[in-house]
Amino acid sequence: MKSIRLYLLLALLATITLVNFVSLLHGYQSSMQKAESLFDSRLKSTAMLIKLANSAKQNQQHSAEKEDPYTFFQIFNESGNELIIHSSNAPHIMLGELSEGFHDVNFASYRWRNYVHEDTKLQRWIVVAERIDIRYILAEDVVLESLVPIVLAIPVSALIIWFAVGLGLKPLTLFATQLSHKRVDDLSPITLERVPSELTTVVNSTNSLLLRLEEAFDREQRFSADAAHELRTPVSVLKVHLHNLGTRLGRQDEDIVLLTEGVERMGHLIEQILALYRTSPDQAAVKFEQVDVFKTVQSLIAFNYDTFDRKQQTIDLDGESHVIEANLFALETLVMNLINNANKYTPEQGEIHVEVKRHELGVLLRVEDSGPGIPEAQRERVFERFYRLHGDRHDSGVVGCGLGLTIVKHIADLHHATINLGTSANGGGLRVDVIFPLRAISHA
Amino acid sequence: MLLNAVIIVLREVLEASLLASTFLAISQMLQRDRKWIFFAFSLGLVMGSIYALSISSVSMMFGGAGQEILNASMQTLIYLSLLVFAAAVPHQNKPLFRNLTIISLVFAVVLSLSREGSEVLLFITGFIGVPTLFNSVLLGGAVGAGIGLSVGVFFYYLLIHLTPRFGVWLGYVILLLISGSMMSQAVEFMMQADIFSSTAPVWDSSSLISERSISGQLLYALIGYEATPTLSQVIAYIGSMTLFIVIAITSSTLREKHL
Repeated sequence: MKSIRLYLLLALLATITLVNFVSLLHGYQSSMQKAESLFDSRLKSTAMLIKLANSAKQNQQHSAEKEDPYTFFQIFNESGNELIIHSSNAPHIMLGELSEGFHDVNFASYRWRNYVHEDTKLQRWIVVAERIDIRYILAEDVVLESLVPIVLAIPVSALIIWFAVGLGLKPLTLFATQLSHKRVDDLSPITLERVPSELTTVVNSTNSLLLRLEEAFDREQRFSADAAHELRTPVSVLKVHLHNLGTRLGRQDEDIVLLTEGVERMGHLIEQILALYRTSPDQAAVKFEQVDVFKTVQSLIAFNYDTFDRKQQTIDLDGESHVIEANLFALETLVMNLINNANKYTPEQGEIHVEVKRHELGVLLRVEDSGPGIPEAQRERVFERFYRLHGDRHDSGVVGCGLGLTIVKHIADLHHATINLGTSANGGGLRVDVIFPLRAISHA
Repeated sequence: MLLNAVIIVLREVLEASLLASTFLAISQMLQRDRKWIFFAFSLGLVMGSIYALSISSVSMMFGGAGQEILNASMQTLIYLSLLVFAAAVPHQNKPLFRNLTIISLVFAVVLSLSREGSEVLLFITGFIGVPTLFNSVLLGGAVGAGIGLSVGVFFYYLLIHLTPRFGVWLGYVILLLISGSMMSQAVEFMMQADIFSSTAPVWDSSSLISERSISGQLLYALIGYEATPTLSQVIAYIGSMTLFIVIAITSSTLREKHL
């Protein structure tokens, strides 16, 4: 069944049609029989009137002006072999049998219904006849008049049923609309003004599910915060001890260098995994606010300027202020990942260009570098978790865990933004375009 | 006149709506694209109108037996399409057979709607020049069509509400009965065209169920009921159904062997 509304419309309409039309046929048959008996009694009355109006016992000339071609009358003598008087369109002989009552006879290519009455007082026979086809048409005309509204009522019923069923299904439609319009972070219960009994269980179950989901998200949120704290602290302690060990044994000691790299990598991995978790699009706890993309990028570049300076890279920022609805932490993480990637993969003395400007589809954040770029064939795969270009063999010599672009993708999805990877027209390296959609732009 | 119009229109509409609702339900069970259904219905109605418009020239063909011969050919083609359907359904996993099932059903529905539609159209338009009867015929036609379509709607929902296994089985049975009915009617048309000689009826059950009663029309549409069938009609009815069953079973057996 594709649609409940359509099913109800068709099933109800078919029921109404079937029941009405079958009763209509029965009604038609009995009305026709009734009309027949009415015509018969009229025929009988006409015979009686003729009997009273005319008392001729001998041959007479009938002088009617213009007679109805569908009826005739005859008056025969007692034996029925002499026609005393007749209408001009009547046959000159007796049709059918000479006995009191109704008879169907053939005359002038038509079937006629005649009524034969014996006038015992004047000892003669009175015959009155009507054409059957005309009686039938007249009767049908009358009966049809009463049947037409039943047939015309069907399309009207269809309209009424369509709207009535739509009204009946409104709570369900409202329920579905509320569910489909819920934001990913909205786990509040669904409220309907009047919940029909059929929907009560569904609404209650859905609300209880939403409540449990919210509790589960809260638990996970707390776990993530605790885990971040619990993991960060030992790594920081490890770094301090490593620094002290480096001072004592010499920083160039090969084991110390490898150990430092390992601890750096572990610290980075922990930070990235936590960022990945916090910025996941199905993470309902993310709150949106008005964020100026340009200012966010500006402050992050300023804060990390040393990193670029160490590699003697030039980084410049173009554009103007654009405020969008975003999660600040997530947006910062996205920008950090993009500029850190640019920093990592751009060789020393390379160039990095960042731009924030209005785009026809929204606000564009562009990060370009003069690094090796990403081959077109691999551009889809770099968003996969732990996917690293050339495996571990990139020659940047920097710590990486293959989560950076996955996080960027998560954050973009969270903001309904699109990401395009391309080749930088200026530096020849990677160009990352993140377009935040128009509806994310704050008008406040 | 109203009752005559009801019976004639009901007979045609009921037959077409049962075939169409079986087609709709089977398409849904086999998860076929619905665009075919609208295509088949529209094409069937257009072809029916064309057939009705050109009926006088069609009748003149084959020495005046053109209409009967064309009708018999259409019924035979519907039967052949149903045979193709029966053979193709068990091999749904192959694209060729998947397309064959839908094409054969579309073909059967288009032909059936063309024939039944043209007959209804011819009957009703025949009374345009008779104003005393036209209203009655129109009303009778509406009542007949209403009853026929309503039965079709119920039949469709009955089929899709059944379990898929039973629904497909019932769909097969309906198509089997329609097959028998098609060939029995084809033989009747051929007898009218004097291709087959007409013989005495094998039995006469008109006193039990008259072909002109509503139940008679329902049975006619559903199982091809004839109150006074001739021997050739009975042979065609049973023979065509037997061939349908043989093809359906052979096709299923072949599929099981491949599996």
